[in-house]
Amino acid sequence: MQFEDIIRVNELTKKFGAFYAVNRISFNIRRGEILGFLGPNGAGKTTTIKMITGLLRITSGNVFVKGLNVKKQIKQIKAFTGYMSQKFSLYPLLTSLENIEFFGGISGLPRKEIKKFQQQITDMIPVKILKQKIMDIPPGIKQQVALFTCLMPDPDIIFLDEPTSGVDPKNRRDFWMQIYKLKKAGKTILVTTHNLDEAEYADRIIIIHNGKIIRQGEPSTLLKNENMDSMEDLFKKAVTDHETN
Amino acid sequence: MRIFYLLKKELIEIFRQKEMLVIMFIAPILQTIILGYVVTTDVNNIPVEVINLSKNKAAYRIANRINRSDLFDVKKITNQPGDHLKTLKQGKAKSIIILRDRYDKKRKPLAYPEIQILMDGIDSNTSVIAAGYFNGIARQFILEDMRKKGFELPVESQTLIRFNPNLKSINYMGPGIVALLLTIISMFLTSITLVREKEQQTMDTLLISRLTPVEIYLGKSLPMALLGLIEMGIGILVVILVFGIPLRGSLLYLFLASVIFLFAILSYALLISTLCSSQQQALFFSWFSMVTFLLLAGLFTPVENIPKGLHWIADINPLQYLIKIIREIFLKGNGIEYFYKDLLILGAITVTVLTLSLLNFKRLVSK
Ligand SMILES: Nc1ncnc2c1ncn2[C@@H]1O[C@H](COP(=O)(O)OP(=O)(O)OP(=O)(O)O)[C@@H](O)[C@H]1O
Ligand SMILES: [Mg+2]
Repeated sequence: MQFEDIIRVNELTKKFGAFYAVNRISFNIRRGEILGFLGPNGAGKTTTIKMITGLLRITSGNVFVKGLNVKKQIKQIKAFTGYMSQKFSLYPLLTSLENIEFFGGISGLPRKEIKKFQQQITDMIPVKILKQKIMDIPPGIKQQVALFTCLMPDPDIIFLDEPTSGVDPKNRRDFWMQIYKLKKAGKTILVTTHNLDEAEYADRIIIIHNGKIIRQGEPSTLLKNENMDSMEDLFKKAVTDHETN
Repeated sequence: MRIFYLLKKELIEIFRQKEMLVIMFIAPILQTIILGYVVTTDVNNIPVEVINLSKNKAAYRIANRINRSDLFDVKKITNQPGDHLKTLKQGKAKSIIILRDRYDKKRKPLAYPEIQILMDGIDSNTSVIAAGYFNGIARQFILEDMRKKGFELPVESQTLIRFNPNLKSINYMGPGIVALLLTIISMFLTSITLVREKEQQTMDTLLISRLTPVEIYLGKSLPMALLGLIEMGIGILVVILVFGIPLRGSLLYLFLASVIFLFAILSYALLISTLCSSQQQALFFSWFSMVTFLLLAGLFTPVENIPKGLHWIADINPLQYLIKIIREIFLKGNGIEYFYKDLLILGAITVTVLTLSLLNFKRLVSK
């Protein structure tokens, strides 16, 4: 099977009180693809990721990861997923190397492996910076370290929640190059962003707005089908379509 | 061994925060000393005015005894009547002793004067104690005087006070203050650092890792318990060295009780942090619970004085048991056979609260 669906999301819904943060969305993620999850602030991106990773209780609907039910088999699923949360989720008082040791340690890596990873990151970032507290280093490097830590147990599926927010354009490009490398290594990647110009980097995109999916498909096909020049225009049209309906 | 990394991280975080270190290690020493001196129910140096309107010798001698006593700070001795209410209102004295002549039916002055004690009752505790002192002095004087004249009282009770013979309140308060410190530190720090993880979203990473909620709890509580015990050690040293309170029982039992207590209080901290989503909330909640625990712990007032309706809070209050045990070990030198029941209750509290908060923990992180 060429397009094996590694994640299947079916009628997924999240209610906070009477408010639908995510409203009956269904989509699949194929093995080895980069899926871009686009939407403005408050669209429901984080909520969706958190439900898929088992961090938030699902109100209704189902999620299957490699055929495993998130509601029941989250323990097994954890073994092959990586997650980078919206705020990078590193310990500000620890250095990069210490953060790496910590995250490696709690994911059960043996000491030797951790040492190897620590060695590996010194090829990308100068040791001097790696020995500074996270709170003292620039966001671009924080982002690199955060990505690195989430890759440590070598997951097959990677969830990145707004990995490029607060990062300058050059670092953003570098970051996407790394994502491509991961794809080449066979990983499946879900990236959220509210930056529409990042859509082109993804194999497929899903545009989410007010908890509903309003478009999905390959970026170039979507643009062509609707006769649009830019993602921005496409997005505006999608929103107006959605609101007039 | 995953837990080892949690412990290491926690300790690094604590030791990299200078303010935290000050709070953890300097504050307890200062607090023990300050509280030790201030939180005392001993009453001395009560400001007093003595108004002696009597001409008889006994009255003069009683006034003299009051003047000489350390318990009172005699501001004024006079034989002029004055405006007593005004004196009390101005706060110049907390009590006024008035000695007057007493007469028999034939208008002949009696041997002993009439003694009237006027008290400022705002600080009720002090007033009652001070009144007791006055009566004691007067009674003592009269007894001695009568003996000299060859009279004997038919019955006299004798009191023998054990464990704290001088009734020094620091002996009673000191060990309690140590328990109090242990509560403040462990409760505040644990709930705050747990909630901070939520704010930083590192909690998400912990939860998505293969760590179990129990491991996360232990990873937080063990370092805090360790620090708590160090604090406790400092507190005990201060109490023994600065205040000279005797430690009559075994240090080992003290340690055992503290460990069990720490896990009880840390479970409460976990419960609080599952209920809060910001550090401010956590701070408020722990402050509130701490004050409640503190007031209903038998530290300042005996547990028996707590109104019936609030007894259940005292019953689930770990601090109450620790304070009781600590006092027994310090002053009575009691062994475990005297307080094993309290330890069991502490254990039961820990298990219950911990179960509750772990259930809540799972539910709350995956709302
Ligand atoms: N715990 C919660 N309780 C109540 N409402 C919530 C909660 N978490 C999220 N929401 C609401 O759900 C909606 C979707 O939030 P979500 O965080 O998923 O958006 P997002 O697409 O990730 O946006 P952002 O770009 O700001 O990260 C928002 O309106 C948000 O206010
Ligand atoms: Mg988000």
